[in-house]
Amino acid sequence: MSEKFDYAKAIAELEEIARKVENPETKLDDIDALVVRSKELLKQCREYLRTVKEKIDSLDE
Amino acid sequence: MGGNDYIDLLTLQTLIKESVSNAFPGKFWVKAEIASWSPRSNGHCYLSLVQTRAGKSVAESRAMIWKWNYPTLTRYFEEATGGKLQAGITVLVRVQVAFSELYGMALYIDDIDAGFTLGEQALERKRNIERLQKDGYMDMQKELALPELPYRLAVITSKTAAGFQDFRNHLLNNPEGYVFQLDLYEALMQGEQAPASISAALQDAGEKNYDAVLILRGGGSELDLACFDDFGLAVAIATCPVPVVTAIGHDKDVHIADMVAHQAVKTPTALADLFLQGYLEQDARLDALQKSIAGGLLRTISREELRVKSAESALRSAIQRRIGALEMLLQRSVGRISKGLTQKYADVARLKDAALHRLQFAAQARCSAEYSALALKEALITGSDPRKILSLGYVLVTGKDNKVLKTVGKVAVGDRIGVRFQDGSLLAKVDEVFSEKTDKSQTA
Repeated sequence: MSEKFDYAKAIAELEEIARKVENPETKLDDIDALVVRSKELLKQCREYLRTVKEKIDSLDE
Repeated sequence: MGGNDYIDLLTLQTLIKESVSNAFPGKFWVKAEIASWSPRSNGHCYLSLVQTRAGKSVAESRAMIWKWNYPTLTRYFEEATGGKLQAGITVLVRVQVAFSELYGMALYIDDIDAGFTLGEQALERKRNIERLQKDGYMDMQKELALPELPYRLAVITSKTAAGFQDFRNHLLNNPEGYVFQLDLYEALMQGEQAPASISAALQDAGEKNYDAVLILRGGGSELDLACFDDFGLAVAIATCPVPVVTAIGHDKDVHIADMVAHQAVKTPTALADLFLQGYLEQDARLDALQKSIAGGLLRTISREELRVKSAESALRSAIQRRIGALEMLLQRSVGRISKGLTQKYADVARLKDAALHRLQFAAQARCSAEYSALALKEALITGSDPRKILSLGYVLVTGKDNKVLKTVGKVAVGDRIGVRFQDGSLLAKVDEVFSEKTDKSQTA
């Protein structure tokens, strides 16, 4: 991972995605891309909570 | 110095013993701090009692508990206080001042007032709390913030403490698989050395980049935990730059260490849960976000499906309406065509009648005309009969070839011509010819 994963930023993006998906004005085509992105972010966040943080921290040493 | 100018040591010690025995015939209740505590294998317990003033010893004495008193006395104290007789605690003991020729001065302890020790602890605790509040230490840790996802943890405890193993297992073997960096800082967790030992560990860990420092003790009696009411330890906790969380493991009272710490929990398991909680909350938050996104997606799909169904229904209705309209149009056309055909048929019949009528009329007219023409011809034929003409006075003139002459052009002067009358003919000679067209005349 070249850049440090920003958990708070990822959560904020997920919340924004949830808001957009809930919005009836968002087009189905756009939702498709948002759902793909949300899956990626959820995976990264869950990994961060478990193992990734350790790996990231070890890069600092 | 002469031969009788001295006494031997035993004589001296015996004299002292007698004097002490005479001076202190009874027993005394003495308040003192246990400076050292050494139960021996022979069953006796040797200890040292001190009195301090401003941190310095101002009085000290050896003491001992005979092996016939030791079990009863210690059991009573433990049952009454929940703690053990040990160095560092202040006691009120009943002593017999004794002097041994061999061992010198000693206080033989045969009774102890457990309630006094508890009271002393409570009093000391009260004084410490007041001082910490006055000096502003009580809320210093509360101003620090524990990270949302604490990861680097320093644990101050005894390596062999059951509480530490419980904590470690609960935290690191969490079913969710969250990871933590756990560094152990060993310290004495009971007794008079405990406050200094824990303070030193706090000092050490506080200099590192930890998310939290934990003070962990797997429980113990009230008196065992008395060190956690120590003023010096409280200051060390309060001034630690990292949030300090205590899990000293007692249910009845809150110790001063708990009061000054950032947070205090009851058990090692609760302590592990405190750190797992943040992660669990974040996971729950992610689950909720995932559900929200999935729900939103499902709702959008349902909405779109409804739109498709609605469009399909509208299309179906439109097609049916269109078919209906076309059918009506067709029926109207058929009606019109039918009516038109009837009309046309009537027209044709009328035309046919008219034609027949005209034909009949024409035929009649033709017949009439033919009849008239025939009559005329008949009349002409009848009228042109030379004999009839001749009877009217006209004559037929014939030329030399006996053909009827119809013009004077073929007649020349001197020709002979025949003139036929009704009743006969004559021959004549032409003397002169007059032509009406040329106005010329031939003369013989």
